[in-house]
Amino acid sequence: MSTTLAQVDAELSGYAPLPRLNGELVFDEVWHGRALGMGVVVLERLGQPWSAFRDHLAAAIERHGQPEGESAAEAYYVAFLDAIESLVAAQA
Amino acid sequence: MHDHDHDHDHHERPASQAELRARALEALLVERGLVSTDAIDAVVEYYENDVGPQNGARVIARAWVDPEYRARLLSDGSSAIAELGFGGVEGEHMVVVENTPDVHNVIVCTLCSCYPWPVLGLPPTWYKSYAYRARVVAEPRRVLGELGLDLEADVELRVWDSSAEVRYLVLPERPEGTDGLSEEELAALVTRDAMIGVARVESPSGAAA
Repeated sequence: MSTTLAQVDAELSGYAPLPRLNGELVFDEVWHGRALGMGVVVLERLGQPWSAFRDHLAAAIERHGQPEGESAAEAYYVAFLDAIESLVAAQA
Repeated sequence: MHDHDHDHDHHERPASQAELRARALEALLVERGLVSTDAIDAVVEYYENDVGPQNGARVIARAWVDPEYRARLLSDGSSAIAELGFGGVEGEHMVVVENTPDVHNVIVCTLCSCYPWPVLGLPPTWYKSYAYRARVVAEPRRVLGELGLDLEADVELRVWDSSAEVRYLVLPERPEGTDGLSEEELAALVTRDAMIGVARVESPSGAAA
């Protein structure tokens, strides 16, 4: 394990920053943290940098937006799943 | 520690569409050999338990063995923590509050879930449960008692409410029987819960200090 949470946070800040509430990182649901973990493992496995992922993530956030009734963290991690899918598809 | 989860609904309602999709994606990636469930478990556990509390534990152990560091930590937590290479990307203001035989500190965020994650990792799920946030302010002694921490009646209990501007970290009392331990050995004794203030640091023998 080489990627720390602070590194992930730093890599994504400014592009597709991890969701925060009142300045604090937010993981509303257990699966949000798991989605983040999935991204970390996929990138390490593919040997891809976070800079490759964040382009997919920023595009996914743009596409998905924040549907009514969905929290910011939920919307973000749904887009995070999209980004994992599109990164993997691009590598295939 | 799990008493808080009674009001937490994660395990009582059906999974959302998004959660089902996350599970499906994980299954697909496993099938394609890109991830293993164990590897994801390890990352999540690492973020929840390993990195953060270890960072905080090193800060606490240093303060126990180095009085000058302890003084700096209590007067300017952010700078002293940064000395050891830890800090958030947003440079939040860290305030360290010290437990003594007469004063016990506990931290909470009543507004949401503000938490010193660069030193403690991801917050435990109970930390942001309504039950903890509301009750630890209203009846902290009882909540701590339910968590297994019985404080003597004459110990002053201080509850610190974290915010975006200020994050608190508890400097627990150094347990008895640890005079001969190295800084590294001391750090291994320090738990996340002790740095939140819902537990004491146990003596190496296993008895509460």
